[in-house]
Amino acid sequence: MSSVSTTGPAPYIYSSTRMRVRKMKLIRHEEYMRMLNMSLPEITRSIEETEYKAEIDELSSSFSGLDLIEVALTWNLAKEFQNVLGIMPGVIKNFTASYLQHWDIYNVLTILRGKTQGVRAGKIKEVLIPAGSLDRVVLDRLLAEDSPERIVEALSSWSLYPVLEREFPAAMEKGTFGDLENELFKEFYRYVLKQTKSGVKGGKPFRDYLKLEIDLLNIKTVIRLYKGNAHVDVRNLMVEGGGFSVDELARLAASESMNEILEGIKKRYPEGPINELMEKADQSMPLHEMENALTKVMLDQMDRISRRYPFSICPTLVYLKRKRYEVANLRAIARGKESGLPGETIAEFLVV
Amino acid sequence: MALKDVKPTRSELIGLKRRVKLSERGYNILKMKRDGLILEFFKVLEEAKGSRDAVGEKYEQARQMIALANTIEGAIGVKAAAMSVREKPQLTLKQKNIMGVVVPEIESSKVKKSLTERGYGVLGSSAVIDETANAFEELVDEIIRAAEIETTMKRLLSEIESTKRRVNALEFKVIPELKEASAFIKMRLDEMERDELVRLKKIKAKSKA
Repeated sequence: MSSVSTTGPAPYIYSSTRMRVRKMKLIRHEEYMRMLNMSLPEITRSIEETEYKAEIDELSSSFSGLDLIEVALTWNLAKEFQNVLGIMPGVIKNFTASYLQHWDIYNVLTILRGKTQGVRAGKIKEVLIPAGSLDRVVLDRLLAEDSPERIVEALSSWSLYPVLEREFPAAMEKGTFGDLENELFKEFYRYVLKQTKSGVKGGKPFRDYLKLEIDLLNIKTVIRLYKGNAHVDVRNLMVEGGGFSVDELARLAASESMNEILEGIKKRYPEGPINELMEKADQSMPLHEMENALTKVMLDQMDRISRRYPFSICPTLVYLKRKRYEVANLRAIARGKESGLPGETIAEFLVV
Repeated sequence: MALKDVKPTRSELIGLKRRVKLSERGYNILKMKRDGLILEFFKVLEEAKGSRDAVGEKYEQARQMIALANTIEGAIGVKAAAMSVREKPQLTLKQKNIMGVVVPEIESSKVKKSLTERGYGVLGSSAVIDETANAFEELVDEIIRAAEIETTMKRLLSEIESTKRRVNALEFKVIPELKEASAFIKMRLDEMERDELVRLKKIKAKSKA
């Protein structure tokens, strides 16, 4: 990688080509369909024969059964993302690292929650996914700290530290990190949106994609709040930077019926897959099904911009998303089979 | 009460008559209590049947939701979300009285939480976690309700049993024995009266002769 130029089109051509090769290795739709017809031991064996073998061998002394499969999948995901960060040249690396920060938020909050609840470090470590800019070494160091305050202090060089520092005392006082988590995610999107304007190639189309992602996240939040009967100020839970303004979202959240919310979304998206989904959705549609359908819309959109801008940051980000959903799909098949869910039901949750 | 132990005196007879009256009154009251308890029991039984079914139904829903959550979010995601919950459900145990039977009244709080009270962030979690948490909160609520109803039912049942035993004891043992003893005293007193009469007649005849 050191021989790759970090300026001009070369880094984009280099990273896009490498990511395209990796994307080719991802499990294909037909393979998932075959797995759906397999028994659990067959699925386990099939996963062992893929890219995940090294992690399964490494972890087999500490875990067994489906826990082994799940932990091996997440370890592989973390290793792969760290690997991608390692081979990315210059500006692409910085941008990719900033986009992977949502894993950091997940890990930091899991450690804080575990520590405040008195969970053992080993148990917390089992649920960490070091796929972001805070790698396993940093997370181990955080786990070794003896209080949440010390963990926050140890994160002073983290790009989201200002939000953490600002919101942490209130979170400790309230005894819940929910608001802190929301603020971190809001800042995360603000930060990534800003990064798209840093001169990175493909920044503009990716910004457009990010707006869609923010819109869909806000839509999901509005629907979840409506269905969850939560009477809160929705403005605090809305991410800025999407197509909907916060005022529009607040109006949407104040709707008296689900149909009113869906109509409001349809007005913003008068055509395309989101409109079609809102047409199909009704009061009885489970939220997780809608969420899954929205994720598929996001991935399709990302694939589209990746094809339109082949030598930009988009192919890298598409690969990262696809890899993430490969892990989610394999886990879904294994866990779904374990729970005795029929193949057709599991297939509905696959993002392919 | 063995008849040989009965003293055939008038005062004993008066005492026995009082006891028969008291027993018969007690018997009637206990019979009414038993019937009342049976009525209450059947009312609770209907509720219990419903709550048993509801617990089964809610359990099945919760089981399906956790299976879905494990499928979509993975056990790791579910465990991480579970770490967010700090407030545990609180139960307050009170008592109420149904026809003299003390039954529990369970009040629960902080079982059902709104989306923002569960401790996890809305932006970093998914809807399947909400739906799973919701299903388990409903299950816990139903279990608490079922615990109250079933304990009430068990206590009523044991009270009905003991009341029934008392009613039967009064009806088939105590009252008949008391009545028998009182009849025996009455018969003995009559006999003694006749003896006395004959004795007096004999004395009178002797004194005339």
